Amino acid sequence: MAEDDLGRSALDPVLELLDARPRFDASGLFSTRYNLHLNPGECALIECRDPRQASLFADLCTGLIPLSEGSVRCMGLDWDALEDRRAWALRGRIGRMVTDGGWIDLYGTHLNILWPQMHHTRTPLGTLVEKATRLGIRFGLPGLPVLPPGRLSALDRRRADCVRAFLGEPSLLLLENPVEMFPSDLYAAFLSALTEARDRGCAVIWLAPDDSAWRGYGQGASLHLRLYDDGLFSMRGS
Amino acid sequence: MSPQHKESRLREALVGLGRFSRTQLRFTLMVIGGGWGVVQEARHFSSWRRTVRIEFWQTLRQATGGGLLSVLVTAALTGFGIVAQAVYWLGFAGMAQMTGSILSTVLVREIAPVLVGVILLGRSGMLMLTELGTLTTGGQMRVMAGMGIDPFLAFVMPRTLAMTISGFTLGMIFSLTALVMGYLVCWVEGIITMPVWAFLDQVTSSMRPIDYFSIPAKFTLSGFIVGLCSCLSGMDATSEDDLATLLPRGFARGILSVMIINVVFSVGFD
Repeated sequence: MAEDDLGRSALDPVLELLDARPRFDASGLFSTRYNLHLNPGECALIECRDPRQASLFADLCTGLIPLSEGSVRCMGLDWDALEDRRAWALRGRIGRMVTDGGWIDLYGTHLNILWPQMHHTRTPLGTLVEKATRLGIRFGLPGLPVLPPGRLSALDRRRADCVRAFLGEPSLLLLENPVEMFPSDLYAAFLSALTEARDRGCAVIWLAPDDSAWRGYGQGASLHLRLYDDGLFSMRGS
Repeated sequence: MSPQHKESRLREALVGLGRFSRTQLRFTLMVIGGGWGVVQEARHFSSWRRTVRIEFWQTLRQATGGGLLSVLVTAALTGFGIVAQAVYWLGFAGMAQMTGSILSTVLVREIAPVLVGVILLGRSGMLMLTELGTLTTGGQMRVMAGMGIDPFLAFVMPRTLAMTISGFTLGMIFSLTALVMGYLVCWVEGIITMPVWAFLDQVTSSMRPIDYFSIPAKFTLSGFIVGLCSCLSGMDATSEDDLATLLPRGFARGILSVMIINVVFSVGFD
């Protein structure tokens, strides 16, 4: 079976939570068992009213929260069994959109966008800039913004957020309420990029406070779940 | 009292002792571990990624270029002040010809490393502390970790190493400036009539072989410890911290570390 440089098989689920129970004292996430199985190209829409809990759940999926029981496997690799360097490298294959953007005002927005790819890959800077600019234009930016993120409008920061998440063709997308205050043109561009990503095998977790966030996209999703204090539950009809 | 009860009380006492020791020594242990981590990570070629190199050069430019003027001014004032005092007291004791060796002993060996450490701490260390503290309390560090960017590799290692190089560079500039300024004052006052090269030769002759190791080591380690303490203090910030609590704590830790380095070297290599 073909394996890539991280030693994973192409048939492995992209994300698997197997009775994963976070250590409450270390994380803040409720110490209950979480189960989830996400294959390449699948999309899980997860309703979660508490943005902090949604963020912690995304952290759980990226192996940042210590477990007391069970395991979280990403692309066939157990986070707990991975040595640090490999774990950081594996996280580099994940595209994330976080609630407040997590922007660093020490650098321009362009560096914020390019930073993960510059850190994890040896792709020439020119190529990265070209790809990011193309994505920026697709999401409604005039190009690649160089101003510090704090000087961009909130909407432009959301656009830049999309560019950063989709840049580098991630294998897993963790999107925390990504479409908040999206105008229709950005929403359409976002869904188109999401569909393209899924078509090439990227798995998606889309967290939102209520099901109105994914509007018509719900039918295209593989899983509809709710995240409560006592775990993940399937939504009726899914 | 039953043996199990005794054993349980002993265990409790040991746990309490361990907790107390760890709390008291927590930051010291962090600095030792962090310092070892910086050295270990810097040895790996794969650690020097583009982002790390950008951070390294940016910090080096900020610390060395930004601190240059402060160092020049402080060195000139220190050289002038020390020489004025040395000239007065040595003249009083009839030992004015020893001005060169006194300058090398007091100025280069003892005062320069401390002042350079303080300048680095105030001008760059506090900036790093504020930046990293803000990123930690604002949650950006966690977001970076979620994207696979190890904050230790991205910030602590390059900034600490840049400060190390900066400490050495600024220390050498400080020493040279202070000595030349001291010479100029003596020459204007008519205490020294020899050319500057002869004066510098007198200074270097008064240095012991071990000084050629201990003086650069003091400069280098002062930069290293200031960088490391500032970064770790910033990354150690909690949600209850703000700049009013973070800055005094970081300054106290930094200044204490610089003093310890200097005292250890002064005592150890005297």
